[in-house]
Amino acid sequence: MIHNVLTAALLSASVLTLAACNEQAADPSSQYGANPTLPEPHQYLLPPMKVLPARGWNAQEKPVVAAGLQVEAYGTGFQHPRIVYPLANGDVLVVESNGPKAPVYRPKDFIQGKIKALSGSGAPGGNRISLLRDQDGDGVAETRSVLIDHLNSPYGIVLVGNDLYVAATDELLRFPYTPGATQITEPGVRVTELPAQSPNHHWTKALAASPDGSKLYVGVGSNSNIVENGIGAEEGRAMIWEVDRATGMKRTYASGTRNPTGFDFEPSSGKLWAIVNERDEIGPDLVPDYLTAVKENAFYGWPYSYWGQHVDVRAQPQRPELVAKAIRPDYALGSHVAPLGMVFNQSSSLPAQYRGGVFIGEHGSWDRDPPVGYKVVYVPFSDGRPSGPPQDVVTGFISDDGKTRGRPVGVAIDRTGALLVADDVGNTVWRVTGVAAAASR
Amino acid sequence: MPHEAVTQARSRIPGVPADGADMSRVEISGRRRLMHPGLVAAGSTLLIATFASDFLYWQTLLFQWNNVSEWLLATGLILAALAAIAFVIDLVLKRVERIAWLRFAGLTVAALLGLLNAFVHSRDAYTAVVPEGIILSAIVAIILLVVGVSGGWSLASRRAFPTLQARDIRP
Repeated sequence: MIHNVLTAALLSASVLTLAACNEQAADPSSQYGANPTLPEPHQYLLPPMKVLPARGWNAQEKPVVAAGLQVEAYGTGFQHPRIVYPLANGDVLVVESNGPKAPVYRPKDFIQGKIKALSGSGAPGGNRISLLRDQDGDGVAETRSVLIDHLNSPYGIVLVGNDLYVAATDELLRFPYTPGATQITEPGVRVTELPAQSPNHHWTKALAASPDGSKLYVGVGSNSNIVENGIGAEEGRAMIWEVDRATGMKRTYASGTRNPTGFDFEPSSGKLWAIVNERDEIGPDLVPDYLTAVKENAFYGWPYSYWGQHVDVRAQPQRPELVAKAIRPDYALGSHVAPLGMVFNQSSSLPAQYRGGVFIGEHGSWDRDPPVGYKVVYVPFSDGRPSGPPQDVVTGFISDDGKTRGRPVGVAIDRTGALLVADDVGNTVWRVTGVAAAASR
Repeated sequence: MPHEAVTQARSRIPGVPADGADMSRVEISGRRRLMHPGLVAAGSTLLIATFASDFLYWQTLLFQWNNVSEWLLATGLILAALAAIAFVIDLVLKRVERIAWLRFAGLTVAALLGLLNAFVHSRDAYTAVVPEGIILSAIVAIILLVVGVSGGWSLASRRAFPTLQARDIRP
């Protein structure tokens, strides 16, 4: 009897081992655009971690930019800068932040946390908003002040009139802003509470205001990879909220978006677009992170399915009626690239090829070999829709010895039309300009 | 040593006193000095309990049973590793005369399958348990129960008994 059990055990062990071995990452370009190739999902024995240790930038090192562009450090020495937000007077706000300390629910949380920390993702955030000013217009900020301090893991910010809205991880705050101010001492007023229940897994709260300023959109990420903390932990999460600016009333604008990390309005159509980080641990090429126009009241699948009706068996009990109504996003960026920042470009100071489309900051993968992301890409648009594959704009974040000099996060277009990139491992804000524009200065 | 074993065998028969009270005392304290059985018992308990929490997760889909399984499994494997170290110490100190190889094989297979199961259980949500996880924890639980019921948690062999008992019949 023991012998039979032994044989059965060894057989099942070898089957499991085999199942774990036959994964080969595909060419990322097979997953760009509206119809990404989706392989069959895998279930792993070991989560496929490929973490690049953080190294930082040596003196004289800079990111690599595409032809016709050049890059300089706009500001350095930040504490985990995530979001850059230029103001009309030329000042630039930098949100320095990181997530709250993650609790350990499972042995896996402990081990994975230790490994991921190597990548610099666990570095302490400033929990503040700094203001940078480039008085002489040479492309480097000389003066810096702390505009707002002691925030609880802030992320998205948006200025509407003289109201500066800050999305902390647990509440949406409003601060009074006067043009030219370098410090705000008044306490913030809570507009509405935001979901931050334990373990507060995806802690960032992306924020945007509608063009007329009447509505605010808040991206609330899921509280897990794939509901491993129970569906109860997902109350109010994995969705895009619409908050009425005047009253603070809120409603679900779209749902099933696992981790919506950035928004912007497409200039020609005025429509809201978002970037969303999809689920992990079912393969190097699953599931593609995406860029999509956000359809009002639509359901994008998480956790029950992905890219339309591809059912994820890990989410139980299943909800076939929700799977049936899940819609496909517009544009795949590739699996695990981790888009964290987006901005549409209308500036004419960058080369013409970069006009009308969207810049996306890809923080980079931790569970794919070879790694992907770790760059800023540009997705061209025509007639308000994506019109080609993503193009590399800013790269060089990975050193030759496989370490990270930096990781791009938030992107923005400043008053002069230059592209700003927050780098939360290099603790730098980079400023990308056109070669011609810089020469004519 | 045969003498000790004889004493042990005899003293276990109700109503038959052990010959040589001093020898008996030496024998009992000698058996108590084995380090590994207690750790094997503790680890096995947790690995068997892993099946119980896996079963509850499978039936209820409450995520916390899934987490409970992970901790039971991890703690059970740590105790199994300590038991293995203790067993080596027992061997080095010559406290174990002969190894019960079948039970040894059973416990080794159970520990290795438990280790494999810890990796299965590191998945997120449903597939951490169903189907591979709960199948593995059921197999491990069955092996451990068979080993436990068939002779306790000591890996020291008692196979010398029949011949000794035969000798014991001598007046």
